[in-house]
Amino acid sequence: MPGGGRCPDCDSTELVEDSHYSQSQLVCSDCGCVVTEGVLTTTFSDEGNLREVTYSRSTGENEQVSRSQQRGLRRVRDICRVLQLPSTFEDTAVAYYQQAYRHSGMRAARLQKKEVLVGCCVLITCRQHNWPLTMGTICTLLYADLDVFSGTYMQIVKLLGLDVPSLCLAELVKTYCSSFKLFQASPSVPAKYVEEKEKLLSRTLQLVELADETWLVTGRHPLPVITAASFLAWQSLQPSHRLRCSLAQFCKLANIDLPHPASSRLQELLGVLLRMAEQLAWLQVLKLDKRSVVKYIGDLLQHRHTLVRTAFRDGTAEMETQEKERQGQGEEVENSSLGLSQGKRPASPALLLPPCMLKPPKRICSTPAISTVTGDENISDSEIEQYLRTPQEVRDFQRAQAAGQAATSVPNPP
Amino acid sequence: MPPGPWAAPTSTLTQRPWPMDEETYMDLDLYLDPWAAQDHPALPWSSVFSPVGPYGAYIPNPSNPGTAFNSYPVEAKEKSGSLSPVDLSFLTDELTQENKDQNVIRSKHEPEENPKTQSQQSQLSPSGQGVGPSLNCSGSSNSQSHLHPDDANAVQCSPEKPISNSLPLASITPMTPMTPVSECCGIVPELQNIVCTINLACKLDLREIALRAKNTEYNPQRFSAVIMRIREPRTTALIFSSGKIVCTGAKSEEQSRLAARKFARVVQKLGFPARFLDFKIHNMVGSCDVGFPIRLEGLVLAHQQFCSYEPELFPGLIYRMVKPRVVVLIFVSGKVVLAGAKKRSEIYEAFENIYSILKVFKKG
Repeated sequence: MPGGGRCPDCDSTELVEDSHYSQSQLVCSDCGCVVTEGVLTTTFSDEGNLREVTYSRSTGENEQVSRSQQRGLRRVRDICRVLQLPSTFEDTAVAYYQQAYRHSGMRAARLQKKEVLVGCCVLITCRQHNWPLTMGTICTLLYADLDVFSGTYMQIVKLLGLDVPSLCLAELVKTYCSSFKLFQASPSVPAKYVEEKEKLLSRTLQLVELADETWLVTGRHPLPVITAASFLAWQSLQPSHRLRCSLAQFCKLANIDLPHPASSRLQELLGVLLRMAEQLAWLQVLKLDKRSVVKYIGDLLQHRHTLVRTAFRDGTAEMETQEKERQGQGEEVENSSLGLSQGKRPASPALLLPPCMLKPPKRICSTPAISTVTGDENISDSEIEQYLRTPQEVRDFQRAQAAGQAATSVPNPP
Repeated sequence: MPPGPWAAPTSTLTQRPWPMDEETYMDLDLYLDPWAAQDHPALPWSSVFSPVGPYGAYIPNPSNPGTAFNSYPVEAKEKSGSLSPVDLSFLTDELTQENKDQNVIRSKHEPEENPKTQSQQSQLSPSGQGVGPSLNCSGSSNSQSHLHPDDANAVQCSPEKPISNSLPLASITPMTPMTPVSECCGIVPELQNIVCTINLACKLDLREIALRAKNTEYNPQRFSAVIMRIREPRTTALIFSSGKIVCTGAKSEEQSRLAARKFARVVQKLGFPARFLDFKIHNMVGSCDVGFPIRLEGLVLAHQQFCSYEPELFPGLIYRMVKPRVVVLIFVSGKVVLAGAKKRSEIYEAFENIYSILKVFKKG
C-alpha cells in the first residue's frame, strides 16, 4: 500500500496499485477512483501533480553512488566552473574522479584526501588539453597543502596509469601575463607604466625561450622564471621610466604575488644577457652592468640565437674533458686553466651549463675510506658496554625522569 | 652467474699460511726459475707448477718470463692483506691457475691506473670493459675479491692478454652474457644506504631497553619502537617489541650485517635471549655523477611511460625502471640516485641501463 496517498473523491487511504492493460494505476479500493495514471516514474509522491522529474533524479543512478562520491563529483563540476574551463573538461574530470573512486584505496581515504583528489582530476584534465593550470592555483582554490596534493597526485597518476604531459610553458606565459593589471591606466598604475599586452607578451615569450635554452628552466618551478622574464620585458620596453622600478614594485603594480625564487631567476637571466652583450661590438665598448643591459634587451633578443652560440661554449663537451682529466690526473682541474686556453679575450666564453653545475661544490666530496669489513668480525664486549648505562646511571636517570614528571604534574597554586 | 666451485674455501684463505715480504720475494724468485722450484723441496706447490712452469700458460713471452711478473714484487708489497699466489697452494690446479690469471691481470692494470686506492672501485673502473659490475664482489676486502667466482670476468680478461694458450681457462668457465664494452663507462655508483631487517626471536621490553641503554630514544605516543644508534658503523636501528629490528645507514652489505649484529649484541647484553635470525637486505641506495647536464624535458618526452617529471613538485626526474626494479632519480646537473635495489648487482645494472639512455641526451 503506497504511503501518504488519499483518494480525492472519498478521502480514503486505501489506495492500491493496479495495472490496467500494463499501465500501472493507483486506484482507491473503496470508490474505485483512479488517483494517478499513465506516469512512467513514481519516485516522488507529488507526482500526482504530474510535475516533471529530472533524469538524474529519476533514474536512480545516484542511488548506486555513495554520498561522498556525489559530493566529490559536485565539487569537480564546481571547480571547473570557477576556473571557467570548457564544458568538455568537466566531463573528463568527472570520469577520472569516478575511475579513481573505483579503487578501494581512494574510497577509504580521508575527506581531506578526497578533496585533494578533486583537484588532481581537474589538473590532469587541464594538462591533457594543454590548459596551463599550475598546482599552486589548484592548491589555493582547494585550501590544500602542496605536500598533500603532491602525494595524492603522484598516487593517482600511478594508480590510473595515466600519461600526463608537462606544463605547456608558452600557454602559461600567455595566461599569466594576461592576468597583469598593467594594460590600462588606473589610479594605482600611472601612464608611464602602462604597456601594450601584445608587445609585453611577445617579448616575455622570447625571454622565457632564452632562459630555457640556457638551462635556467630545467628542474625549476616555471612560474618565477616567467615573473622575472615579464619584469625584464616590461622594463626594457620603456627603460628610461621603468629602470627605477624594482621587481617587488612591479608585482604590486601588476597585482600578482611575487614568488620567492623570482629574484634569483632575474639575476641569472641578467647574467646570461650580459654574456650575450659582450659578443656585440657596439655593446662591448659600453661596459654594461646588470642595470644598463636592460636598455639593450631588444637588440639582444633580436640576435639571440647567434649570440647564445658565440657567447657560450658547449658545457657538455667541457665537462667530459674535465671528467677525463680528473680521472687521469687524480686532481681537480682548475677553471683558470680553461680560461687561459682561450687566449686574448679576458673573459672567455662561459660554459653553457645549469647554474647548479657552475657554482663551486658546497662540500668537498671526499672519497670514502676503504673499509675492509667482512660482517663477521668479533664484537668486543667493551664496545657494546659503552652503550649501556651503569646501574648508578640508571638510578640517576630514573630519579631525573620522576622529578621531571612531578614538576609537570604539580598543579598551579591557586 | 653460477657460483664457482671455489666459493667455499674463502674463509680458510683469511688465514695466510705463508708470511709476506722478504720470504715472498724469495719464493717469487724461486718460482720464476722453473728448475729452482723443483730443486727447492720447501716449496709445497712446486709439484703443482712443475709440469707447466711457474705461471704455466700465462707467460706471454717465454724468453722474457719477467715481464708478466715485474710488477709482482711491487704489488705484493703494496697490497696489504692481499694474498700472494704462494698462499693458494692447497687449492687444486685449476683454481690456482684461475686465480693467478686474475692476479696477473689485476697487476697489469694497476700500474696503468691510479694506484691511490686498493678498493674494488679502482679495480673495477680502469679498463672500462664491464669488469666492475660482473665481479659481483660483496666484500671490499681484497682477499675475498680475489677468490670470488667470476667466470665471465676471467673470460673477458683473457682475450685482452696477448696469449693464445689461455684456452684451458676458457673451457673451464661457462660463458655468461655480458653488457657490451661500448656501453660501459668508467663510473661506478657508490652505495650510500642499506636497509636491512633481522629477527631476534624474543619479545622485548622497550621501556627497559630505553632505560638501560644510553644511545636510545623512545617515545611510545609518537612511535612504538626504540630508536638506537651506534657509532661504528654509523647506523640507526628501530627495535620493536616483537623482537624485530630494522637497521639503516650502512654503506655496504658487510657493514649492515655487522651493525645488525652489534644491535643484537646490545639487546643480548641487556639480558634478553636475543638470537640473530633472518638477516635480509630490503633496500639499497646508490648515487653517482654522469658528468654532463641532462635535458629532463626531452627525456620525459622520449620515455614517457617510465618517467615522471614535475618541476613544480621536485627538481629531479623519477625514472621507474622495470628491469631491474629500481627507481632512478635524475637531476639536471647529471647526478643520479638509484634506489630500491635488493642487490648490489641491480644497482650496477640499473646504472648501465640509465647511462646508455642518458648518453643519447648528451648534447654535442
